[in-house]
Amino acid sequence: MNPGAAAELRDLAQSLVDFGRARGADEVEVSAGDSTEFNVDVRRGKIENLVEAGARQVGLKVIKDKKTAYASSSDLSRETLQRLIQRAVERARLATADEFAGLPSFSPKDFDIARLKLYDPEVPEIDPAVKVKLAMETERAALADKRITNSHGASFATYVTTGVLANSHGFVQSYDETFCSLSVSLQAGRTGGVVEDFWFSSGIRFKDLDPAEDVARRAVERTVRQLHPRKIKTQRVPVVFEPLMTSWLMGFVFSCVSGVSVYQKTTFLAGRLGQQVGNELLTIIDDGLLPGRPGTRPFDSEGVPCGRTIVFERGRLNNYLCNVYAGRKLGLPATGNGEGTGVSPNNFFLQPGTMTPDEIIASMDQGLILIKTIGHGLNPITGDISRGAFGLWVEKGEIAYPVSEITIAGNLGQILKDIEMVGNDPELQSPVNGPTIKVREMTVAGE
Amino acid sequence: MQKKPAAPLPYQDRFGLSSDDLRQVLRIALSRGGDFADLYLEYRGYSSIHMEEDIIKDTAESIVMGMGIRVIKGEQTGYGFSNDLAFDKLSRAAQSASAIALSGASAKIRIPREKPVVRNFYSNDEPAHSAPLAKKIRLVQEAYGAAQKHDPSITKVKASLQDMVQYMKIVNSEGLSVQDARPLVRLTCLAIAEKGGQREAGYSGGGGRVGLEYFEHEYSARDIGRDAAGEALSLLEAVPAPAGEMPIILSPGHSGVLVHEAVGHLLEADFNRKKTSIFWNKRGRRVASELVTIYDDPTIPMFRGSYNIDDEGTLPKKTCLIRRGVMVGLLQDRLSARVMKQRPTGHGRRQDFSCWPIPRMSTIYIDAGSHHPEEILRSVKKGFYADRYQGGQVEDSGKFTFSVSSGFLVEDGRLTTPVKQATLIGTNIDILKKISMVGTDLKFGLQTGTCSKEGQDVPVSDGCPTIKIERMTVGGSR
Repeated sequence: MNPGAAAELRDLAQSLVDFGRARGADEVEVSAGDSTEFNVDVRRGKIENLVEAGARQVGLKVIKDKKTAYASSSDLSRETLQRLIQRAVERARLATADEFAGLPSFSPKDFDIARLKLYDPEVPEIDPAVKVKLAMETERAALADKRITNSHGASFATYVTTGVLANSHGFVQSYDETFCSLSVSLQAGRTGGVVEDFWFSSGIRFKDLDPAEDVARRAVERTVRQLHPRKIKTQRVPVVFEPLMTSWLMGFVFSCVSGVSVYQKTTFLAGRLGQQVGNELLTIIDDGLLPGRPGTRPFDSEGVPCGRTIVFERGRLNNYLCNVYAGRKLGLPATGNGEGTGVSPNNFFLQPGTMTPDEIIASMDQGLILIKTIGHGLNPITGDISRGAFGLWVEKGEIAYPVSEITIAGNLGQILKDIEMVGNDPELQSPVNGPTIKVREMTVAGE
Repeated sequence: MQKKPAAPLPYQDRFGLSSDDLRQVLRIALSRGGDFADLYLEYRGYSSIHMEEDIIKDTAESIVMGMGIRVIKGEQTGYGFSNDLAFDKLSRAAQSASAIALSGASAKIRIPREKPVVRNFYSNDEPAHSAPLAKKIRLVQEAYGAAQKHDPSITKVKASLQDMVQYMKIVNSEGLSVQDARPLVRLTCLAIAEKGGQREAGYSGGGGRVGLEYFEHEYSARDIGRDAAGEALSLLEAVPAPAGEMPIILSPGHSGVLVHEAVGHLLEADFNRKKTSIFWNKRGRRVASELVTIYDDPTIPMFRGSYNIDDEGTLPKKTCLIRRGVMVGLLQDRLSARVMKQRPTGHGRRQDFSCWPIPRMSTIYIDAGSHHPEEILRSVKKGFYADRYQGGQVEDSGKFTFSVSSGFLVEDGRLTTPVKQATLIGTNIDILKKISMVGTDLKFGLQTGTCSKEGQDVPVSDGCPTIKIERMTVGGSR
């Protein structure tokens, strides 16, 4: 990061807020970001791509007579930005007045940003040679396994960003963040029977990354376990979701409890607040203040402080996740999930239970462990799920063989009732996450 | 439809950089060695209008400006970019890109000569980006109103218009200097119908490398709204999809997404150069039924996926990928073409200046065959007709899936019950070989598609005639 970036961008943002007010806007919000990225991809022992770059971006929102206009630019010349504000004020006139439009009415001044541990000073200092070496080692360790037949490559990436938010209610805050990740993606098997998968380690702190050999070993295991798949008959069986699959399911849950989707009636969970939607095992929380975690941030894109929101408590739908606009529309509080005109999760997770993944698998006489899905096929309006899937078939509590060319189908509303076991093994690398779970029954389509 | 290209834009003014500056940046990029370097300058204006809940909720405008600097050495790419076009920032980005080549000879930098764009595939009588906002708002309102008034069970509508003009200039160490100004517009509508506690969504949209005249002559805002509402209504009558293996008929037009996902991606040269695609050793071999011929054509006038030059400055070519079942070609960018000793086909594309080009599709389609669509339908006693899709995905191994948002059961050669939410899954070469009938009715899908690869989004289109696949797995819930 450029050390003066935060101060420079704060000054720029503040001056643009003032300019917008002077040009007749009732309310103005300015966000500004400075990011530096480094990425190296290595493949088959050679550097394939090497990127190092920095970029800045400004986002603007103006409100005039309850009418809203947005603008953004990567051309940061004062002349361009002032012209964009001027035009946004003029454009706002052509929108329709909306009593719910506008910035948050309160503007807290104090944030304990240091406590959140979003920045690791080591990340911008990592020698590029070390980054290249880590990616090389990871791929080499994976390719050392004779079952691996090709590599999509290994990558090491770092991002260092400064974000600033200022608005016409006197809010001016900024914070710095770091992120680094090490990943490798592999193929096993020969023509006609090729399988593929990947693994990664990522986080805010460089020291917290898993060693190269561990990332490689996980990637190899995840790939080779899919070798020599069989087809299965179409049937209804219990389905165990591995933690990454639970994370995927939680992503779908998030889109269905988004306050924006609720007021737009584009989720089957609209109108269900306070109802028992899932079973007792289901507690889902959004928490933006967990120190050092990937979904942590002091405030959202509108300056609303992040907090902890219990979305489902023992199956009861307690809260929707709202930005300021959705909150006003629904008469509910803004939860610190604002992201542009929409919402985004902070750390959004299914509360882990007490069972080990082995105990959960052992409980199945016959069923599927879901390890990977591909395709689209999520419909928040109905809750319907239909995806291409890869899995491991379980017979008498033990993994028997891999299966492919199957699809899974079900309905989220039903799944929330049918989660009958929750594991103790959440996958915390992703901001949206959960542990191993078992769903009582889903349709698995094969031959 | 093809008109003369617009007069070149005053790039020097737009970017504030002289050709001497650009040569100096190239020199820095190649200062540590390397075979090739190029500069990609971009200035893009983008605007959008959103309507929902009966009001124009907001409008937005955005500007993307910057330069990407690439150095190639062998199969290696070094890349730097900056949104600040001050010379010292560009020098630093060029130095970052140069780090890929730590020693060795540098390519000679030839003096750039401006190459004119010879054919124009854009129609831009009424450029959307500079059209009055009030006129664009009117189009959005028309689509919205048509959807809303279509039927009392339509309870929710969203309509939006997005337009863009992208000025780009490419200068490379081989002496190429070329520029383009690409228009792009899209009007889309989402409608939700409700009946008896059931909710369904329908979608339609149109646009392309066109101006606002498109919405008068090709696909009107009213028709877009009506079609979105119509789809939502028909889904209210739909039942859950069946599950299991059965004969499949693919609808013309919309089913182009299958071609894109299941076949097109794996014919992109990079996956073949790296031998990760199932097709890498199949050139000249039979990979599909002999009824199947597949093209990718970036030169179809006005299409969303089309362009006058690709993002490396190469003139695009209509490229045959599979001819009568035999694999004959790949989608090439410069890097893969050079390593594989083939010619670039003009399929090197990038999302924006912060990304390096990679081989991408433009408009991919299965060519028309000889079967009458009715004849295809009549040949199926019991099966599934896939009509509209949400999208799909493929693995390099050829395993693919795509999500069908609506379709029909086929019983005794006729379309019967409407069906919703199914997934089709298979392995591409296996399915390509099971294509047993190809219709005469080649159509193209909606001009609203975007393809994602390695985190880069680019506009695409696709097409296909009515097709019969002997057997395929349908994943439904019953």
